[in-house]
Amino acid sequence: MKNNLKWFVVLHIIILIFSAGSICAKTASQYEFLSLNWIIFYGILICILGFYAIAWQQVLKHLPLITTYANKAVTTLWGLVWGFAIFHEKITPLKVIGAAVVIFGVYLVVAGDEEVNAPSIDNKEAENND
Amino acid sequence: MIKYALIMLSGTFIASCSQIILKKAAEKKYPNKIAEYLNPMVMGAYLIFFGASLCSVMGYKKVPLSIGPILEATGYIWVAILGKIFLGEHISKKKGLGLLIIIAGIVIAALGVK
Repeated sequence: MKNNLKWFVVLHIIILIFSAGSICAKTASQYEFLSLNWIIFYGILICILGFYAIAWQQVLKHLPLITTYANKAVTTLWGLVWGFAIFHEKITPLKVIGAAVVIFGVYLVVAGDEEVNAPSIDNKEAENND
Repeated sequence: MIKYALIMLSGTFIASCSQIILKKAAEKKYPNKIAEYLNPMVMGAYLIFFGASLCSVMGYKKVPLSIGPILEATGYIWVAILGKIFLGEHISKKKGLGLLIIIAGIVIAALGVK
């Protein structure tokens, strides 16, 4: 349980770092294509994506797929937070509701996948027992 | 802004294509660990993913950061459709409902952009 909590915290730190990649993407977009600043922020974005790809695989070893993917959807909320805090974008009620609806949709998508995959795992176990 | 949103959505579609290629590549057998990564399919998929990230940066020129990650949720829809076409993956009722809800969420959030 304590170990799960630890990996849950790690998962959200990784998601937070991943969402910071969108700050770099947005910042890079404000500069001229291939200018020094553009290259710096795009480079940081690529580094974050690389880190994320590796870190995500590690988290998947410790937490169920449904937990990881469903939680990943909170990047929509982080987008609202970063947009407001850094780029002074308006947070409208519809944006918040839309983000919450997307998160619920993602949960159903991942839960639907789990349902499809679960019987095949059971079958494999039954085959092994035979 | 719609033009830039479409660029961003195209990037999400391209990234989804790269995921399908990676999945296809993962189903193949390789002689060693290095070959698992250094093969045309995997390298091509990462190259495509690189292109997708460029679309994302181009899209953010006008798309608000508060909407970007919501638009990128369309990736779940593309992966489901492409997975069904190219990998024969089943879309359960629950998953189908989830995909529709994601679309509804994106539309709601888009209506909130002023």
